[in-house]
Amino acid sequence: TVVERKHPHELTSQVQRGLEKVSPAQVDQKVTAEVVQFMLVKDQKKIPIRRADLIKHVVKEYRNIYPEIMRRAARTFDQVFGLKLVEIDTKNHMYILVNRLERAEGPVSRSPSNTKTGLLFVILGVIFMKGGVVKENVIWSTLKKLRVHTGEKHDEFGDVKKMVTDEFVRQRYLEYVRIPHTEPVEHEFRWGQRADVEVSKAKMLEFMGQLYEQDPQSWSQQYREAHPPSSSQAGPSSQR
Amino acid sequence: MSPQMGDSHRRFLQTIMANGIISEREASSLYRHCCETHKTQHTPDKLDEFIDTINSKLQPMFMQIRKGMCEDSGHQHYALVNTAMTDVTRMSSDYTDNELELFRKTMDLIVASESGTTSSTDILNSADTMSSKKLKKSEAEHLLNRLVHDKWLNEKHGEYTLSTRCIIEMEPYIRTMYQDQVKLCQICHNIAFQCQICDNPKCCIKIHNPCVAKYFKGRTEPRCPACDDFWPHEIPEVRQPHSQSKR
Amino acid sequence: GKEKATQMFAEGNAFNPTIFAERLLSFMGLNRLEDGEDEQQNGHAADGYLPQDAWHRLARRAESCFSTAPSFHYMIGSFHAEPPPPKQRTE
Ligand SMILES: [Zn+2]
Ligand SMILES: [Zn+2]
Repeated sequence: TVVERKHPHELTSQVQRGLEKVSPAQVDQKVTAEVVQFMLVKDQKKIPIRRADLIKHVVKEYRNIYPEIMRRAARTFDQVFGLKLVEIDTKNHMYILVNRLERAEGPVSRSPSNTKTGLLFVILGVIFMKGGVVKENVIWSTLKKLRVHTGEKHDEFGDVKKMVTDEFVRQRYLEYVRIPHTEPVEHEFRWGQRADVEVSKAKMLEFMGQLYEQDPQSWSQQYREAHPPSSSQAGPSSQR
Repeated sequence: MSPQMGDSHRRFLQTIMANGIISEREASSLYRHCCETHKTQHTPDKLDEFIDTINSKLQPMFMQIRKGMCEDSGHQHYALVNTAMTDVTRMSSDYTDNELELFRKTMDLIVASESGTTSSTDILNSADTMSSKKLKKSEAEHLLNRLVHDKWLNEKHGEYTLSTRCIIEMEPYIRTMYQDQVKLCQICHNIAFQCQICDNPKCCIKIHNPCVAKYFKGRTEPRCPACDDFWPHEIPEVRQPHSQSKR
Repeated sequence: GKEKATQMFAEGNAFNPTIFAERLLSFMGLNRLEDGEDEQQNGHAADGYLPQDAWHRLARRAESCFSTAPSFHYMIGSFHAEPPPPKQRTE
């Protein structure tokens, strides 16, 4: 994970000194109980977790051993829950949880399906297929064809414009940026940092192929982007 | 030393986490599915041991997969519950403070009632006596729908009961907070809401409907297990585990 | 670099969101009212109605592209424990 990449296995001397003052059991307690709990609670709304909030609400006086605490929390998420703790924004220090288990059709559905995922697929799909950036009008008119009208309350999504430009943006599924020097004001959409980690372009293209009854490879540029030659792409699951 | 967790355990935990609660039957087939997916050994009668392994790792985080009976069908269920009450757990964002106040009032009404139910009218009336920011009628109605959708309450013809998920998770809380009002089932010793009550005014013991069915099955003259008075209620049939269970 | 972007842009232009929406509507189970009717007039989507579970249908399939972590929800511990008001009812 990014957490481990940022903080190499060797502990800094500052952390070492911090660890000497508290017993390992205390650190464990701090990690396993509060940090993990805090992150699970904050993940209920899928808003990235900020390091500043973590320190303010749980880490507090243990902030000098923060890297060690995060390393242990990441290990707990991995070993108990099968989740990955990923730092999506290394500048502002924000974390998200993603699944590291491959999806498998089981006897009990993984979740009561969330219709927002369908809406996200449509928007992320259009952005991806159109090369990474689209003007907002393209999204609104696509949604309109799917009988989702901005400015009207939708049965399933309520205030769609708010959901897309506020909720999805805060969750970091989308970036919604003003295009400079436009009058009236215009915005464009890109994939957000969460989408980069959580959504598989290869699988998305597979679904496109199913929708269009077409070989995913026929979208050659998108196919190449979804299957980079080196295995350097971010993403929680191996994309074959 | 407790056995280590594998991906089969993690998949099982994730599925319960996403659903909140699953029936014993679902748990059994999920257990098999998880073992098959990750090619680990599956022993059908070792489900509870499999879950104990998960629980031993969850315990430091104050979480637990807990088993409990559906008062309606008598079927066992497994729910993932929180066991802590701290500043961190109070940061949960699913419901606002005034929504939680109305939920607590609903619990008060259900616990205080003889039948273990309360009507939407009574709940909406109690919304008028809230100390935090009052909920409008439409907001309160919307909240009740969400509480049913999130499996904290059950609703039937405008009557609300505590769901199996709610009873499993809240049992320790209910026992402490409502100790004067809540009664345990004479047979299974869990708290009882949907139940039959002994008519003898000196006795008044409670027995869950499914526990009544099991206890009196095949007995010609049913008598109260506590006071030996005649048991005057209709004895329900034992429900087969195949029928759809309610959560 | 630049060449790739140009090519991507060209192919991106080729992707038509209107056709995409049409394909999605079919996937979501659109009931078209009259077959053979001119399906697209002035760029408006074809008439017809979507079934109740249309967005669920799409979500279930789309989920396979997402590796979302399940989230933990609970009731106990989300509020301060307060004893219930003194009992008013009599038995
Ligand atoms: Zn009982
Ligand atoms: Zn009796």
